[in-house]
Amino acid sequence: MPVVTLALALIIFGAGAVAGGLGALLGIGGGVFLVPFLNLGLHFPIAAAAAISLTTVIATSSSVSAGRSGEQLINLRLGMVLEVATAAGALLGGVTAQMLAQSTVQLLFGIVTAVVAVVMMGRLGRRNVILDPSIDPGLLGGRYYEEESGGVVTYRVKRMPIALAASFIAGNLSSLLGIGGGVIKVPALNAWCGVPLRAAAATSAFMIGVTATAGAVIYYGHGQLVPPLAAAAVLGVQLGSWSGMRLSARASARWLKLLMAFVLLMVSLLMLARGTR
Amino acid sequence: MTARLEHAVGRVLRVGVITSSVFLALGLGLSLFVPAAAAGPVLLRAGLMILMATPVGRVAVSVGEYARQRDWLFVVLTSIVLIELLASVVAAMR
Repeated sequence: MPVVTLALALIIFGAGAVAGGLGALLGIGGGVFLVPFLNLGLHFPIAAAAAISLTTVIATSSSVSAGRSGEQLINLRLGMVLEVATAAGALLGGVTAQMLAQSTVQLLFGIVTAVVAVVMMGRLGRRNVILDPSIDPGLLGGRYYEEESGGVVTYRVKRMPIALAASFIAGNLSSLLGIGGGVIKVPALNAWCGVPLRAAAATSAFMIGVTATAGAVIYYGHGQLVPPLAAAAVLGVQLGSWSGMRLSARASARWLKLLMAFVLLMVSLLMLARGTR
Repeated sequence: MTARLEHAVGRVLRVGVITSSVFLALGLGLSLFVPAAAAGPVLLRAGLMILMATPVGRVAVSVGEYARQRDWLFVVLTSIVLIELLASVVAAMR
């Protein structure tokens, strides 16, 4: 376990701020940046890196979702249905981790993120929104005011089995790798299930608090969480996600999709490199 | 109805995040600058506990809100999520 010093706390606070800022912009927890940084950069054991990252995911999810309440951008009903699947996946993630070799999981993760990035880039010009507000969004669909187009946007949710399966896998990878799982859920909801990127990101950010809690509690119980470093990371992430949220309302959907695809490819390369070592 | 739930959930998240951040900041400051103080680790632990309890709390509040609205399908769904979270606590203590 790493020795806690003021310098290390400051480095982790800074890394948390960067990860939190990008995470808030993309609707992911930021763990996708923090885990490689702590594990590859600072040589923390993967369990310690994952544990710290999961606590920041909870903090990001809670603060981003609290700040967004009242905007109707978070699809609460869809989120709560999908949480049944992510929480089950996160719980089973602990068991799966014992049965699979770490390198197998990393290879799988690298492949999945690469596929999702390609799907994302292929859909840059498409929009999932119906601009006629009189259309019924159905049991799980939603409507919200979109700043970019200046109108009320309506959408329906398609292919629920895919959304549930993606949520389960995302929950599983969340516990295994210490990420929120938004990298899986957001593109899946957007590309296959008809949810606009902004609503998919907000709903995913809302859900990952529950997902990460299921994983974090288990790491904490096994003594793999270093409290002062988790505190430094959480506080850094709070600062970063607060700043990121102020930018996300102004950023265009096309730019967000490109950034997301780029991030996914980077994560994929990192994971493949480590998994094949 | 949805707006009411959104505000209830938002309030739980806001209170949880602010409280845990204050505990974590005080605990981190004490641990780094006054290592002899016993309060540092206690505050850090309390902060982490509150942080992890926040999503559990907002699921519990959702169960209550859906019950008040007599939306039984969502009472069942959110209750399952609550049970899954409690199961992770059981898994952590083994």
